[in-house]
Amino acid sequence: MKALSPLLLLIEDDPQFRLLLATTLENQDYRVLALETGKEGLIAARSQQPDLLLLDLGLPDIDGQEIIRRLRKWSELPIIVVSARNRETDITQALDNGADDYLTKPFSNAELMSRIKALLRRVVKHPGGVQEVFQAGELKIELTKRRVFVSDQEVHLTPIEFRLLSELVRNAGFVVTHRQLLEKVWGASYVEHSHYLRIYMGQLRHKIESDPARPRYLLTEAGIGYRLYEEENV
Amino acid sequence: MSGPDPDFYLPEAEGPLVLKTKARSVNNSLNPMRAEHNYKHWFWGIAIPLVLTLIDWPFRDILTASNILMFYLLGVFFVAIRFGFWPSILASLTNAAAFAYFFAPPIFSLAIAEPENLAGLAVTMLVGAVTSKLAENVRHQARVAEQGERRASVLYRLGKELAEARLETEIIEIGVRHLHAEFGGRNTFLFPDHNGQVDYPDEPPLDISLQGADLEVARWVFQHGQMAGNGTEIFSDEAAVYMPLNGSTGTIGVLVLEAVNLRQLFSPEQRQLLDTFVNQTIHTLERASLAEQAKEATLKMQAETLRNSLLSSISHDLRTPLATIIGAASTLETDDHLNEDTKRKLAGAINEEAQRMSELTTKILEMARLEAGEVVLNRQWYSPEEIVGSALRRLDKKLKTRQLNVNMADGLSLIQVDAVLLQQVLVNLLDNAAKYSPGGRPIDIAVETTPFGLSITVADNGPGVPEALQQKIFDKFFRIHPESAQSGVGLGLSICRAIVEAHGGDIQVTNRRGGGAVFQLHLPFLECPPTIAPEENEQMP
Repeated sequence: MKALSPLLLLIEDDPQFRLLLATTLENQDYRVLALETGKEGLIAARSQQPDLLLLDLGLPDIDGQEIIRRLRKWSELPIIVVSARNRETDITQALDNGADDYLTKPFSNAELMSRIKALLRRVVKHPGGVQEVFQAGELKIELTKRRVFVSDQEVHLTPIEFRLLSELVRNAGFVVTHRQLLEKVWGASYVEHSHYLRIYMGQLRHKIESDPARPRYLLTEAGIGYRLYEEENV
Repeated sequence: MSGPDPDFYLPEAEGPLVLKTKARSVNNSLNPMRAEHNYKHWFWGIAIPLVLTLIDWPFRDILTASNILMFYLLGVFFVAIRFGFWPSILASLTNAAAFAYFFAPPIFSLAIAEPENLAGLAVTMLVGAVTSKLAENVRHQARVAEQGERRASVLYRLGKELAEARLETEIIEIGVRHLHAEFGGRNTFLFPDHNGQVDYPDEPPLDISLQGADLEVARWVFQHGQMAGNGTEIFSDEAAVYMPLNGSTGTIGVLVLEAVNLRQLFSPEQRQLLDTFVNQTIHTLERASLAEQAKEATLKMQAETLRNSLLSSISHDLRTPLATIIGAASTLETDDHLNEDTKRKLAGAINEEAQRMSELTTKILEMARLEAGEVVLNRQWYSPEEIVGSALRRLDKKLKTRQLNVNMADGLSLIQVDAVLLQQVLVNLLDNAAKYSPGGRPIDIAVETTPFGLSITVADNGPGVPEALQQKIFDKFFRIHPESAQSGVGLGLSICRAIVEAHGGDIQVTNRRGGGAVFQLHLPFLECPPTIAPEENEQMP
């Protein structure tokens, strides 16, 4: 028998959009629990044990950012923010609070499906930690051996460059905010020193990318952070 | 209200108003007579002749009487210049006595035997008196000049500060501060509130502001345009003076001044200075309020024009896709006999038109946000390469078949910009380049740093922009071919300009030889790029 399909929790206050998303997702063979308020959502997150949360930020009762913060105190539940708030500050804050991914309205179904799949895949594939070898296109990274190859040619990285790259590998396919990278790679006292990140990211691109001005692997999410390209069908 | 001529200097200053006895008794520091009352000056009037006598005494056999008189005359000059007229007269008299007693035979007697000496002494005293009077005048003139200069410099400082002030509160603060510095004591400006009633200001008072002014008196002064309070006949038991602020359109407020020295305040020269202070402040206030009004009027007019063009633009650009969407959606909803192919086509049309609307809405909102001044630049250090890269990635689909020549200068330094907004500029420029130049022709992007900033050029190989339209093309809702299918809403370049100007930079378009538009934007450096400590261990072990 087929295993039970993943349960998606959807918290969205607009009835039309909630209906549309729920229908679309059910058509893709997901089980969907669509709720209107943050309060209901938080209760369901505990009682129903969903596999993934789709969260609107502008809810009538509790702000979406607050829901993320509260959830992250006890849960690793994957969260995709789905919001009409398209300012980078809102997105960055949601990610810093612990959301895994975000989509700004309007977005296409295909985009949503690929994000959901990627996030569920990450949870299933690496339940405990990270894979040892990361590969995307010509890029191959061996995490414990601390070796990086581009087209089978080994590339020498400085310790900081490697730490930066491995932080992105750990979240491959997902955005890591500037703040998160600065904190993880340089330490908490460096979160305001964004120029460190720019300089090292530039160096890393020049070592890894064939055309640093049109990067293939180290992608920029303007105003938010960076994302390491991950092949869809790995 | 106008005082006497500017170059007056009255030794006996008398205010035009009834002054209280308390105020009257206060010494006037500007009175020139005051100096002569100093007993030290009288002392020198006697001491200097006596010293000269001591010096001359050993030489009494060598020197003739006229020589000795000359010495004495020198002493008189000195006293006149240093200590004034009356001490010098005293010195003259002392000289005469000393000369008669010690030098003119018979010595040790005040009698003078020779008529020659008597005449000499008389002439010397006369010359002494005349030159003393002249010296006195010189002293007096010098003091007038000094006063005038001080007033001028005080007014200059006030004028200079006022000229730089823009806000009403700033101007009032400058007025309060300068009045305090010049006239001592506390003061405050009171203005009518929106009901036309003089009231205390909403802003917190300065340390030197006068607090607790009597509003009843202030309102009376405001209504009658007449001075009241201490030193006047009306409300004379008030501690402060209440003066109307007379602007070009009538009384605009009230100055409440608690002078340390009322008598001094009411002396003509001080009154005139006070009036000038107050008038300057009033004029600056009026100028600021007029400028504010003019600005508001212009903004209102611009908003009106914007609204009109926005409405006409929206009616076309949003209604057209909406017509398609509503038409297709209602057909899908109600018509049961559609075949799969038609359904898919209709859904595709809805999707496409909705995308177009979404793009337009985003642009209109973006422009509105920029216009409203709501956008605060989130300036951070970015590498230009990264910004260009993210802009190119956003246009990946549109530029897939294009040849792109990206020319990054070596060693580009970091620049402090709002990356999201700057990326938007590049996206708009590249999108335009792709839209308005034929498919097979390449687009050239060049990035370089100049000594002053960062320069980014986006050049296409299309028809270019007619010279006459090179300015207009950045205007809101301007389109070269308004009704063509390719055109957007005419906001892309306006957004570019607004963003670049918010960064303190500029953007312009030219045509290149052989055709093609060249958009060049320039962003100035604000600070030196930061440096980072190099890594200790450069290579991985």
